[in-house]
Amino acid sequence: MNLKDCHNFSDFRKLAQKKLPSPIFHYIDGAADDEITYARNTSAFDDVDLVPNVLRGVENVDLSTTIFGKKLDLPFYLAPTALQRLFHYDGERAVGKAAKKFNTMFGVSALATVSVEEISSMIDTPKMFQFYFHKDRGLNDSCLERAKAAKFDVMALTVDTITGGNRERDLRTGFTSPPKLTLSSLFSFATKPMWGINYLTKGKFELPHLQDFVKEGTSTNSSIGNYFSTMLDQSMNWKDAEQLCSKWGGHFALKGVMSVEDAKRAVDIGCTGIMVSNHGGRQLDGSRSPFDQLAEIVDAVGDKLDVICEGGIHRGTHMLKALSLGAKACSGGRLYLYALAAGGQAGVERAIEKYKSELVRDMKLMGCTKISDLKRSNLRFRK
Amino acid sequence: MNINNCYNFEDFRKIAKKKLPAPIFHYIDGGADDEVTLNRNTEAFGDCDLVPNILNSVGEPDLTTNLFGRKIDMPIFLSPAAMQRLYHPDGDKASARAAEKFGTFYSMSSMGNNSIEEISNISSGPKLFQLYVHKDRSISDDLIERSRRSGFDAMCLTVDTLVAGNREKDHRTGFTTPPKLTAKSLMSFAMKPGWVFNYLTGKKFELSNVKKKTDKGTNIAKSVIEYINEQYDPAMGWKDAEYCAKKWNGPFALKGIMSVEDAKRAIDIGCTAIMISNHGGRQLDGSRSPFDQVKAISDAVGNKLEIILDGGVRRGTHVLKALAAGATACSFGKAFLFSLSAGGQKGVERLLENMQNEIRRNMILMGCKSIKDLDASKIIYRN
Repeated sequence: MNLKDCHNFSDFRKLAQKKLPSPIFHYIDGAADDEITYARNTSAFDDVDLVPNVLRGVENVDLSTTIFGKKLDLPFYLAPTALQRLFHYDGERAVGKAAKKFNTMFGVSALATVSVEEISSMIDTPKMFQFYFHKDRGLNDSCLERAKAAKFDVMALTVDTITGGNRERDLRTGFTSPPKLTLSSLFSFATKPMWGINYLTKGKFELPHLQDFVKEGTSTNSSIGNYFSTMLDQSMNWKDAEQLCSKWGGHFALKGVMSVEDAKRAVDIGCTGIMVSNHGGRQLDGSRSPFDQLAEIVDAVGDKLDVICEGGIHRGTHMLKALSLGAKACSGGRLYLYALAAGGQAGVERAIEKYKSELVRDMKLMGCTKISDLKRSNLRFRK
Repeated sequence: MNINNCYNFEDFRKIAKKKLPAPIFHYIDGGADDEVTLNRNTEAFGDCDLVPNILNSVGEPDLTTNLFGRKIDMPIFLSPAAMQRLYHPDGDKASARAAEKFGTFYSMSSMGNNSIEEISNISSGPKLFQLYVHKDRSISDDLIERSRRSGFDAMCLTVDTLVAGNREKDHRTGFTTPPKLTAKSLMSFAMKPGWVFNYLTGKKFELSNVKKKTDKGTNIAKSVIEYINEQYDPAMGWKDAEYCAKKWNGPFALKGIMSVEDAKRAIDIGCTAIMISNHGGRQLDGSRSPFDQVKAISDAVGNKLEIILDGGVRRGTHVLKALAAGATACSFGKAFLFSLSAGGQKGVERLLENMQNEIRRNMILMGCKSIKDLDASKIIYRN
């Protein structure tokens, strides 16, 4: 199996599983507790049906959408994810270039393995910086300043990860950052020698936004759960978010809003967008899926800020359903991470191309030629 | 196992799988994307229960109904399906003869391997012609003229296939028409020598109805996906459909209507029928199933045109439920193609006989003397 055999999400996932040492694969693939929310994030889309309209004349389809004041050529973007150089040695460099090629937004994590400065010098297309509120205020200020200096367009504060989720697969595989060889993981690293060679020879593994402030994750091995639980400030509240928002002074989003009440407060503190997200099912298991919650949130705040549906998206039709409910755009992490692991920049490009061609095809089959044609009247809920 | 042991859909499917080279079997068997809609088409019937009335002195129930101006002996007929010679050397001839024997409609696809004239010479039974609007409009005009001259009773225009669905099984098996031997598919053809012998010794494979106008699909090996995307006109609109209806000037249906709004417009342009269909789940995955949608459409337009439910029908009870929900008749494609593959004309006859027996038996069990006794009072939806 190689890249040209990958036609969909699960194909990329299979190829990633072949290429990655198992602790790293399961870090991407796993979620919290019993992974109920993780599974629901995708299965939620199956409880609603698309109802196409025919004979609309659909030669040309325009997929562009505008979020955070930026016009994107696609109604989905690449959500910020941590540690990308563990998945492919090019990491954020590969993902950023692929995003640029399709003119969509690239989300860069605070736990990125390539610096905002380098990314900014590499791509001039829309960029989002994802921010974790650390106990160390110097680190927080530094992140904001560097992202601003590097001309990032959007700041997204993650609010669903005040403590590490219970990712039991990581406990079993012994996943840490940077990767640590343990007796239990030795075998899986040994069976993927190419990954090991690339990891050791393609440049030192770093967390450039954090390493001046903390050792954990760069020179001290840390599990991700442990990192979140010890480094992030659990006292973070609405006032802190509001201060960050005004300090940033540009487009600002809260990532991980799930309740209507919180969505309304996001408007009050000056946010221009929210990501309806449960962190890909990786934090609170048993929590509601973004798609299940989307309509209520759009009804409450959809005219006041950009609502983004994040989580569980595997298909163009999933995006059409979210957009029909009123999301301005969709995003996802696993959406492109398996493809990154499977084939670096070429892999991510192939994945984006696949989703794009699904969207064009599915828009035509729906009788729609632009994103604003997608309306709730296109949907019927089964229950 | 032979056709005399075939009692249901799955039995015919099993024999077809044994007889057909894998790419051809999967071309029938597959749906779009994750096949969510393909599965739902049949599952939807399970969310609705039949409620029998007893002691009704049923005697011998009358299965006849009127469709497209013809009286037919049972409320189900053969959907149009392309390239039937891939499944059995007798192709459309086998289907047309079997349908005539059971007094129901045979349908011919624009992409049939037998010509309109050839079929009209061998069958005086009820016949429906299925039309695609090609970019070259003279192809459609020619098909309409020839169908009229050859005594076809009705015409349907397919409106859900402006662009080919994402049939991933075809990507993987490398299915093309005419079949092309690739390294990948060689093995699966070599394992079915009977099929290969018939294919090579039978009449030349051609798209008989369009061969004078285009050599695509006849002399040049094309995947169906490429053929659809090159030949069909994605700009097709309501005006084009109205033009076809007027030109035909007889019983006329749109095939692939799913929304109530479109069903109403179908009346306005002079249709006498619609086929509620998502093309057997082969086009837009995540779209609504015909049975989930039939009641809403029937409530809106059931007194103004005939409604055919196409998709997911495998059992006599499915037909009963569809009729009770407001359909005039049902049609099926996959089920009959498996029976055709399994045993040619005899296979299709066996399938129709099974269906006739099931419908008859179940009408008796329901306490219904005739098709019109099947009304909304006979079913209860679970949700």
